[in-house]
Amino acid sequence: MPYDFILFLNSIRWQDIVDIALNSYILFRLYVLFRGTNVFRVLTGITLLWILQRIAAAIGLIVTSLAFQGIIAFAALIIIIVFKNELRSVLQTKNIKTILWGLHYKTIKTPIEIVVGSVYELSRRRTGALLVFPAAEDLNEFTQSGIAWHGKISREMILSIFWHDNPVHDGAAIIRGDRITEVGVILPLSKRRDLPSCYGTRHRAVAGLAEQTDALVIVVSEERGEVVVARGNSIIDIHDNLELKQVLEDHAGVSTKPVASRKRENFRLGLAAVLAFFFVSGIWFSFARGLETLVTLEIPVEYMNRSPEMQILETSINDVSLNLSGSGTLIKSIRPEQVKVRLDLGKAVVGSNTLTITPENITLPPGILLKKVTPQVVKVTLDVSIEKDLPVQADWIGKLPEGLILESATLTPSKLKIIGARNVLNKITTIYTEKIQLDNIKTSGEMTVKPALSPASLKIDPGSPDKITLTYVVKHRPPAGNAN
Amino acid sequence: MKTGILFFFLVLSITVVPPVHPQSKAGSSPDRAGEQALLVRAVMCEEVRNYSPVNPAVVFSISSGRISCFTAFDPVPGKMFIHHNWFHKGTMVTRKTLSLKPPKWSTFSSIQLREMDKGPWFIEISDSQGKIFKTLRFSITD
Repeated sequence: MPYDFILFLNSIRWQDIVDIALNSYILFRLYVLFRGTNVFRVLTGITLLWILQRIAAAIGLIVTSLAFQGIIAFAALIIIIVFKNELRSVLQTKNIKTILWGLHYKTIKTPIEIVVGSVYELSRRRTGALLVFPAAEDLNEFTQSGIAWHGKISREMILSIFWHDNPVHDGAAIIRGDRITEVGVILPLSKRRDLPSCYGTRHRAVAGLAEQTDALVIVVSEERGEVVVARGNSIIDIHDNLELKQVLEDHAGVSTKPVASRKRENFRLGLAAVLAFFFVSGIWFSFARGLETLVTLEIPVEYMNRSPEMQILETSINDVSLNLSGSGTLIKSIRPEQVKVRLDLGKAVVGSNTLTITPENITLPPGILLKKVTPQVVKVTLDVSIEKDLPVQADWIGKLPEGLILESATLTPSKLKIIGARNVLNKITTIYTEKIQLDNIKTSGEMTVKPALSPASLKIDPGSPDKITLTYVVKHRPPAGNAN
Repeated sequence: MKTGILFFFLVLSITVVPPVHPQSKAGSSPDRAGEQALLVRAVMCEEVRNYSPVNPAVVFSISSGRISCFTAFDPVPGKMFIHHNWFHKGTMVTRKTLSLKPPKWSTFSSIQLREMDKGPWFIEISDSQGKIFKTLRFSITD
């Protein structure tokens, strides 16, 4: 067992460690950025669905697995569409440093004492009020008609906002940190039927916003001076200022013991980091360390560093057979362009060269191991590249219409400078044009044709034109016995 | 293989007709020592009739059945030999030696066409030292 463990440790590459560490950190950062928001809860749900889908696939539940796959794909789309405001608020309100490595501890800025004092002063005066304390979620899509305020919180300001003759006193005031950011805000009304009959429009608005967002909302009753707090689906009657203070501190994430709170926060973050590491490691092992699967691929051999003066005349093989192993998932995900066999012709000479294929010549995707190469030896024949002026000849096909004679054909230029391997060019005496159809030729004329280079390794010298003008003369066949 | 090549040459039916030009009579030409033979006409044609090429062209249908390479030299300083080297798709398929006599001479070589002869051809007209007078290029098609 210890020997197996040592073998296992030896088989882990530095890329694997970076792979796990990087993805663990990305997962941890997602937690830090989105914790407490609906996005995080939906992401958690998608992750659970994904785990279920993997289990379903592993035990062969085909339809279930496909259904989960569809739901996951749809849910990912839903996140982007439905939570676009939350995503935007998370990404826009934080700088790059915060996104990459800031821990974003919850900090209190709201002067709770002033808020509590103001609320009970409003209660004592029987002045109706609505105070909204947003959390992580963006409220813009739920509220309307707000008037920007951005005033620093003070008891006098709160009292004046909800003073009966103030034009904005009917709406809600939104408090972010130590500022009242908006006043006169219209909140969505709750459609719940179980609210007490004594609750009026103001209470329904409080319940409506609390149901749809993670904000905390305080309402002061105009008739009875009661203070009610709504958060989520809970509507709590507040009996004294201490209770209100406690509720506000809980909402702001403040403990009466700040050191203990910070420790608890650190513990949560540490736990999240550890869970992220184990989660990513689990995924990595499921991909990279699954049951060993073997596959044989036919891969074309690529030749590198060939001297520009030389040309490849002949190779003993064009493809090599690679016997590869790895986890089933990785083997299935191999794309042909990820596997390459490259041979270095830097030291090759004119004539026949025997090259051995070593693992260094083979590029494989991460996690895939090479078992065998067939064949292991490649013979490559190289030749020096030369230039040669070759005459060009029209390559006619088809049949000239009856009664016509193609008396002459002139090609301009009549010769082309061709570059190719010496042995190949020495055997070639003529360059032919592409096939030219005779069937449509009825009168003398001119056309442009291209040379057809064979073998394909031949090239036209850059100084020579790659198109040729063909001028031809057509005559009518003289009557029999009159020809000459 | 050898049988095949012999058969091929048989089928080609190279015909050599060294027609004596009406003006060329042995011993009647002046001494032209040091002068070189000059090719004055070289064409591919469907046939040679009355010492002249008939229907000269650069494309011949396989249905023609037979084609000829006509060459005319003027002057011809002395008795000499020339070659008509026939190439199909860049490969020499036959080489025919023809004689020339002073003072001027016309001669030709022919081949019988077969289905497999379709494609581009050229004929090198050369002297016995290998000097090429001219290359004629043509095609055999449907």
